[in-house]
Order: sequence, then structure tokens, then C-alpha cells
Amino acid sequence: MDAGERQVQVRFTTRLGSDLRVEATAFSLPVHLNRYGLSQIINTLLALDSPRPFDFLFDGELIRTTLEQLYLSKNLSAESILVLEYILAVGPPELQSSQPEKDWVSAVNGVNPSLILSGSYDSFARAWFPDGTCGSVLKGHSDAITSIAVAGSSNDTDLDVITSSKDKTLRLWKVPLKPSSSTLSSVRIFKGHAASVQCVAASPSNTQVCSGSWDSTIKLWKIDSEDEDNEDEQALKKRKLDGAKQSIAQVTAFTTHKEHTQCVAALEWPEDRYIFSASWDHSFRQWDVETSINTLTMTCSKALHCLSVGGEGSSLVATGGADPVLRIWDTRMPGTVVPVLQLTSHTSWISACKWHRQSPKHLLTSSYDGTVKMWDIRSKVPLQTVEAHKDKVLCADWWREDTVVTGGADCEFKLFKYTPIEWL
Amino acid sequence: MAASDDDALQVLSGDDQDDGAYSSDFEEEEADSGEEEADLDEEEGDFDDEDEEDEDSDEEDGAADGNVEANDSANHEEIREALLDYIGNGNAGADGDEESDDREAADESDSSEDEAPPRNTVGEIPLEFYKDEEHIGYDRAGRKLKKQARKDQLDSFLDRSDDPKDWHKVYDEYNDEYVELTKEEMGMISRIRQGKLPHAEVDAYQPYVDWFDWDGKGHPLSNAPEPKRRFIPSKWEAKKVVKLVRALRKGWIKLDKPKEKPRFYLMWGDDLKVNEKTANGLAYIPAPKAKLPGHEESYNPPVEYIPSEEEINSYQLMYEEDRPKFIPKKFDSLRHVPAYAEFIKEIFERCLDLYLCPRTRKKRLNIDPDSLLPKLPKPKDLQPYPTTCFLEYKGHTGAVSSISADPTGEWLLSGSRDGTVRVWEVQTGRCKKVWDMGGSVFCVAWNPNPALPVVAIAVSNDVVLLDPEVGDEEVQLNIAKLLAVQPSTSEPTENTPLIGWKRHDKLRGIQLSHQQNVVRVSWHNKGDYFVSVSPDDILFTFIYLFSFFSVELNASKRNNRAVLVHQLSKQQSQNPFRKHHGRVADVLFHPARPFMFVATKMHVRVYNLAKQELSKKLITGLQEISSMALHSGGDNLILGSKGAKLCWFDMDLSVKPYKTIKNHKEDINAVAFHKSYPLFASCSDDLSTHVFHGMVYSDLMQNPLIVPLKILHGHQKGVSDIKFHPTQPWLFTAGADSVIKLFCN
Repeated sequence: MDAGERQVQVRFTTRLGSDLRVEATAFSLPVHLNRYGLSQIINTLLALDSPRPFDFLFDGELIRTTLEQLYLSKNLSAESILVLEYILAVGPPELQSSQPEKDWVSAVNGVNPSLILSGSYDSFARAWFPDGTCGSVLKGHSDAITSIAVAGSSNDTDLDVITSSKDKTLRLWKVPLKPSSSTLSSVRIFKGHAASVQCVAASPSNTQVCSGSWDSTIKLWKIDSEDEDNEDEQALKKRKLDGAKQSIAQVTAFTTHKEHTQCVAALEWPEDRYIFSASWDHSFRQWDVETSINTLTMTCSKALHCLSVGGEGSSLVATGGADPVLRIWDTRMPGTVVPVLQLTSHTSWISACKWHRQSPKHLLTSSYDGTVKMWDIRSKVPLQTVEAHKDKVLCADWWREDTVVTGGADCEFKLFKYTPIEWL
Repeated sequence: MAASDDDALQVLSGDDQDDGAYSSDFEEEEADSGEEEADLDEEEGDFDDEDEEDEDSDEEDGAADGNVEANDSANHEEIREALLDYIGNGNAGADGDEESDDREAADESDSSEDEAPPRNTVGEIPLEFYKDEEHIGYDRAGRKLKKQARKDQLDSFLDRSDDPKDWHKVYDEYNDEYVELTKEEMGMISRIRQGKLPHAEVDAYQPYVDWFDWDGKGHPLSNAPEPKRRFIPSKWEAKKVVKLVRALRKGWIKLDKPKEKPRFYLMWGDDLKVNEKTANGLAYIPAPKAKLPGHEESYNPPVEYIPSEEEINSYQLMYEEDRPKFIPKKFDSLRHVPAYAEFIKEIFERCLDLYLCPRTRKKRLNIDPDSLLPKLPKPKDLQPYPTTCFLEYKGHTGAVSSISADPTGEWLLSGSRDGTVRVWEVQTGRCKKVWDMGGSVFCVAWNPNPALPVVAIAVSNDVVLLDPEVGDEEVQLNIAKLLAVQPSTSEPTENTPLIGWKRHDKLRGIQLSHQQNVVRVSWHNKGDYFVSVSPDDILFTFIYLFSFFSVELNASKRNNRAVLVHQLSKQQSQNPFRKHHGRVADVLFHPARPFMFVATKMHVRVYNLAKQELSKKLITGLQEISSMALHSGGDNLILGSKGAKLCWFDMDLSVKPYKTIKNHKEDINAVAFHKSYPLFASCSDDLSTHVFHGMVYSDLMQNPLIVPLKILHGHQKGVSDIKFHPTQPWLFTAGADSVIKLFCN
């Protein structure tokens, strides 16, 4: 650090606990410092035993340049005091476990904190326990599993799981929460789609399920067996047709949305009132459940493969599709044609995107380029990038708060843990 | 002039009627010459008369031709008399003595105030020539002048003494006579003797009259009085003017004569004129002149030009080409300047510079190249179109020969030379199904009817229909029924069926055995009919040579059966054509109307299937058609050829290509149209795929718009087939490197 270098006045603030707080005086720091340098300074100021990485926010944006470039890009006066808020930075994720599967892992679900569900191209879904053991194997589909949804549980012992498959059906399973290895068969079968079912989502109240398919329809199904008689009647009919092979109850859809013109690739049911759907016809739509009306349509220029609703007040929709750009749309501005954010870092199609269930700022994407990235929407650069799989990453989801589950075309099912836990 | 001459003649002859025609003629001639003089005189007289300029001179010239006599007859008379006089003299030159005497008298009278001419006419010759003669010479008439008898001295003395005036006499030896001096002459002699002027009346010392007025004029160059000629018009000038005027009249002088080219000219004279046009119309560029020496090249340059030691050292650090060529130096005298060491080298280099350097400017058309290009929209504005490869479908072990997409866009079918046919999931690149066909697969085709997912595969001599198992239960049932071989219920009469519909040996499907390699299968849009192409092989033509009798029958049959139309629902095959003109390359159904396009080597024939007739023959001008694709509207057709050319036919427009594009470097293997987007593409053995925007307007007056968009690279070997995704602006390319790539927008 030569003496001739320019210095700027920086004051640090934080919302962290008092043990990580520095005094609110202005320091004069050399302009060449970047995040790492600032983090070192905070560490020296706090005199921590083990150094902890910090991230710095200016004006709601993460600093990813040197202070000099920040001054230049923000057009700040060199004499003004820079107020930086520091937060705990997310460290690189650690690979917790890697489980080989028999075939490509096409779907994962980490909604329930006590178990993880994965679906594979070998037509089986599996329940995994936190210790890495495979619990139940869900056998019943005749083709690849495409998506898994968790519809809560009616009791404490088992969990209602719905899987969608390329065999054009959905199935409901009762997966036991206790670690036990068993082979399960489905409780109910949802039939009606004319082509591969691509996605499934359960309502937050866990009473209904919606599914999107290659026949470009969205069908809504009821999970609970209130109308057992009716269902039985239909099931009987089906059974007659099928030659009474199956003893499981069949469910038919009570509503079908046909507005999409191509494959419905992703669905999300953030609140009981409405559903979001993304389709290959370049649009994503919002549906009112009660009136079955398409309340919002936004059109992108590329085919959409995945969708996630989150952010502040669940108003941001992240979509990924047949290009490497993650687009984030604001549904509060229905007139807009352009996404509010376009995050570019992947090099191939985005296969999955998921908002963090608690944080309104963090987002997870997986791509066919084999990487899984975590994004903070306050920065245009991903926070962390993991070379998760050797081949395409086909699915990814959060599990608990700090763990990411991914499945890929290299037949691996992996868990990555982000440390420390306080980064939220 | 001639007319006016005649006029003059008339006037003259009219004036003196007593003269004969001859004399008048003569007169005219004379008048002409005489008049000229008169004219000159007149000119002379009128010279300073500036008022009568040209007209006057014209008139006078007219007078010179004899027009003026009428108004001045007196003058005329005088001239005539003078002329007659002259003629008379000329005629009477050799007449008698009296006349000569008369003339003598006239001559004498004519002579000036000088004394009478000497009697003798011998001239100034030494008189001793006549010393011994009796005569002293001749008089004017040529008669001898007799010498007078010399008086002896006594007589002469006596005479002298007798005659008191004798001393007044002087002997004239020339005339041989004594001349008596007059009193005036005596006086003259005495004045000469006294050293005076001979004439008493001449005053040698007249008072001086200064003709120059000195008022404010300085000193004159000469004090000589102004000569007379200064005050009178010049006679010679006037003569000259008349001559010139005459020459102009006669046309001897031409004022607007073209400039004569100088015979000799300076060969290098125009070296410095840059833009002078030569005879070829080429601008000539002169060789650049060598730089002239300046102050620094002087032997004794000013001090400021001489570099210091440091400067000279600093030159060593510079690059050689940046170093100054010449370093000024000081010498005591010019004698000490050495010869320029670099002279030869520099001259040589200059010669090298000039050698073969283009000395003429190239003739260049000043056309903006952009204006020659058609006004095409930018590719950016024509998005979406496939640009980047994101997905690869890997699994084949041999060259992928053909691909076909399922009408919903979920699946992709591919056939390969390794003998397998695979079904791929488009979104993930997963291989769903592998069928081992047991032979090289030439062509695969997915049924375009979404309700009937059946695939047709051309494997060596067979067309195989298989179920890809992607439909729902009802559809699967339907297909199972269709693909179950119906036992031929009604036994065919004399004509056995063309093709046997058999159950496939290993796979669940139908096998249609042809007699030759099937190279193409294509479905009708409704999905019930499909057509197979099995053209003649080179192998068979080879057999003809050996046993042409028996095989020729077969050959004709085979040629007949190049195109067969099959109906899936009835499991029947028919041969719609009796004969083909050449090797059939490709066959397509019109998407909506009952037309069939048959591409042979150089032509495309459009048959109306309902009327069973040839409706159109497209003349392609291509070497050999390799592939064909139809626009979804059915009125536009593209053809790819072995000559790397791509043809676009607008069938409403003409039977000749609307556009021919030579874009590839090698043979085009396949062409494809997008179903809904205005896109088409061609792929070739040169490893590239070209994507075009091909907009077909519903307005019949508007021609299709073709814009090249993108060249897609990526395959390691030739691209054998391309297909567009049915719904997305994506393109599947199948390469001989056994990889299928998906290019997305």
C-alpha cells in the first residue's frame, strides 16, 4: 500500500448482533480495496478468533468491485462518507452427500425438512433421510418421474406425496416419515392427461393438486377423498376398462385450463387463491383457482421450463427456459413486457429455479451446464457457483434452510450445505 | 466577284460604244490594274478619313472593279487617254525617226530643270577605248559621232588670242566639244575657289528655328525635327492593308484556322500535370520527383543543422527505419566533400520503387457498394431464429442419416447408419427408446398426425412401421390395432399385391418389403398415407449389362416401382406411376391439396392425385436434386442440390426458380422449412447449416422475402439431415459424426 494512494471515508453499519458490531466512526481506507479487503478490515476491527467472511451492501446492492470503481460507477463525490452495511457472506457450499441412483434424477423435492424426495428416469421415486439412507421406494409409474409435490400430511406418521410422470398419470403416495426402507405403492392415481405430465404442484392448504402436461393443459385435482362414492364409481368404470388390474382409487380432474398452447412445463401454487404456470409457448400465466380465470399473462421470448414465485411479498416470479438467462418479473406491474432483472451467468439452459423459502433475496438455479448457482438479487453476479454434476443438472431444490438438493443426468443425487447458517 | 466583274464590263461597254468587244475586254483588264493604282491613290488620299471605314473601302473596291466611272466621267476620260497613249507608244516602238524625235522632244520636255543630257551615250567608260577610232561614241539614235579635227597648238593659240572669251571655254573630252562657261558658272567657280558655297543664294548660316517647345517637357531624345512621314498616312501601310483585305476577300487568309500541332514537343513536359487525361482516358500518375537537397545537405551547413554528439548517439537507439538517412556534416571546402557513399544504393532503391509501381490510376466506378445490395432487413429484427447449440443428443455410434420430430415437439426420432433408430426426449436429451433395425437406416419419419404417433423407418429394403409408445391408452389401443397385420381377407385375383404387409420379425410393427433400397419415406399430413421411394441402384444397372433380356423386364418393373404410396388404415400399397423420368430423389405430399411432388434428378413434377395427371413440371437448372422441402402453405418449395445450390420455387410465380442461392461449399444434404415460423435452412457436407428467413406473404402480389440469417457450425463431419422443431424456432441437425444437435434461439 503505497502512501500516494487516494483514501476515502467509509463508515460501517450492520444489523448483525452486538458481537459483530463495529463502532460507527468513519475510517479512511485506500480506494483499491474490494470485498475481501473490507472483510479483512472488519475482521481486524472485531478481533475475531476465526476470520469470518463479510459481504458489503451499498445502497441495497452488493459490492463486487473495488471502492474506486464503486465511486466512479455511482458518481459519488470523493469527499463524501461511504456508508457500507455489512452482512455475513455465504461461504462456498460443502458437498454433504452424494447418492448414486440407477438412472437420471429428474425431480427432487425438499419441502419437508425431515425427508427428501427424488424422482428418477427409472420410473421410481425415492424418499431419502437426512443421514443419506434411502427410505421408501415409490413404485408404480411406468415411465420417468418428472416432478414431485408434497401435499402435507393428514397425520404425523406419513406424508402425502404426489408424483407426475411421463406415463401421463399422477400418483399419490403416503410416504412414512420414520426411517424405514420399504417399497410403497400408490394410494391414488390421477388419470386424464393425454400426454406426459411435466409438472405438479400442491395447494398450500394441501387439498388440491394441479398438474401441467405436454397436452398443453393444466388440470386441477382434489386430493382428499371426500367424494369417495363418486370416485369409486369412476374407478369402477376404469377398472372395468383396465380389466380390474389395479385396486387403487382413480381420480379425475375437476377443472382443466386449456389456454396454454404448448407444453406446460412448470407450476407453482404459492397461495390458495391462485396458481402460476409456465409454458413452452413463451408465456407464464396466473390463474384464479375459484373462478378458473387466467388473470395475468406475461410473455417472454423463449420457451419456459421452470418458474418460481418468491421475493418480497411473493410478487417476483423467476423464470428459466431455453436460454441461459434467468429472468425475474414483477407481477405487480402487469403492463411490463420486460423482466425487472436478467441474470446471466449460466452457459446453457436453466433447468430449475427456486426462491429460498424464507429469504426474499436468495435464489437457486440449476443448469444444463452442470452448475448450480445461488443468487442474491442485490447483485448481478451469482454468490456461489458449484460444479454440481458432471452432466446436465436436471433438478434442484432447497432443503431445510441452508441445504440444496440436486439431481442430474450423471445419475447422482447430491446435497450441498451452505455455511454459515446466519447468512440469511 | 465574277458577277460584279460582269457588271463592270457592262458598264464599261455601255460607256464607250464605238469601241469593239476586244478593246473593251482589254480595257477591262487594264482598268483593273490601272484602277488599282488609282484606287491606291484614292486610298492614300482618304487614308486619314476615318469616317468612311469599311463601306467606303468596299465602295472603293467596287470602283477598283470599274463601278465608279459613271459618277466621275471626266476622271475616266483622262485615264482612257493616258491608256491610249500608252498603247500607242507600245505599238509604235519600232516606227520611224520622226516619232522617235518627237519622243525625244517629249523626253526632253519631260526632263527636269537639269541641263541637257550629253550628246554621247557610251557612258562612263575609259575614253581611250575610242582613242584610235574616228568616232567618239554614239548619239541617242545610234549614229556615230565623228571626232572633230584637232586643232594644232598654233591654231588654238591663234584662236585664243583672237577670241577674247576663249578662256571661258572648256574642252569636254567626253562629248568632244568645247563648252563655253556662262557668267553664273564662272561665278560659281570663283566662289568655290574662294571657299564659299557655289550658289550665292544659299544661306549657310540661317537663323535657327526651334521646332520643340520646351515647356515642362524635359529634354527630348533628339532634337531632330519631326519628319514629314509622321504627319501623312503611310503609303506602304495602306498598301499592306489593301493586300490583306484582298487576301481576306479571296479567302487566302483564314482567321479561324485550327492550330497546327507542333511537330516537335517536349516528351517529358507534362510530367508534373497529374490529372491530365491521356488518350486512353486514364489518369497518368507521374513518378515522384526525388527530393531536392536542402540546407542540411550543404557542405557547410548552418550550425543548427549539425547534430550534436548526443543526438548522433541517440540515433543508434532508434529503429533502423526511424533513423535519419543523412547526417549533416561540415567540411572546410567543397573539395573535401567525399563522394556520396549511398548514391548507388539510393538510386537503386529508387529504381526498385519505381519498377512495376502502378503508374496509372485504376478506373473505378464511384458506386456506393451498399446501394447495390438489396435492401434487406437486419437479421436482428427477424428474430427468433436458431443461433446457439445448447443440447446434444449423443448415443448413436454411426453417422446419423435422418431425423424427424414428433408433431408436439416432445420427441425426436433419429435413424443412423449403425442400424439403430432412437427416440429422444427433446427437452433433456434423454434417449427414450432404441430399436435395433438390423440394417442401415436411410430415413425416418414421424407421423405428422398428433393423434396417431406412428413412425415409419426406411431400413435397407424395408419400410418398417413402429409404435413409439408415446400416446395415451386409447391412442395406444388404436395403434395396436393399426399395426396388427390384417390377414388378407379377400384373396387378390390375378394381380398380387405390390408389397406384402408383414409383421416385423423382432419388433412390434409392420414390415413392408420392397425390392430395392428404400431411401425416403414421407407421410401425408393427415397421417394415413405415406410414400416410399426406392429408386434404381447403380448395382442393378450393372447387372443389366450382363443379362439384359431377363433383367430388363425386371428393370422396367423396378423403375416403375420407384414410388409407392401406402395406406396405413387399409394396409394397402399402390403404384401411382407407370414410368419415371430419371432417378427419383424425393417425394412429398402437398400438405392440404391432393398433389404430390416427385423430384427426379433435374426436375420436379407435380402430380394431381385426384385427376391423376401431371399438373406442373418445375425446371430447376440444378445438377442433381438431393432434397426437397415444402412450405406449410404448399405453394413454395425449396430444393437442395448436389451442386451446393439451393432453389426456392414460388409455384404461383413460375416453373423456374424464384431464387437460386449458392451458399454452401459442398453438396447440400437436406433442406427444411419451419411449420409456423418464417424460417428455412439447408445443411451440407461442408459441416455448416445455413438458416434463412423465408417469409411468404398471403398477398399474391408480394414475392417471398429471403434473408440469410445465420450459419451454424459445430459438427465434426458433414451434416446429413436437419429438421425444425414443430413449435419452437429451434433446429435439429444430425451429423455424420453421430451427434444430433439442437440449436435454439
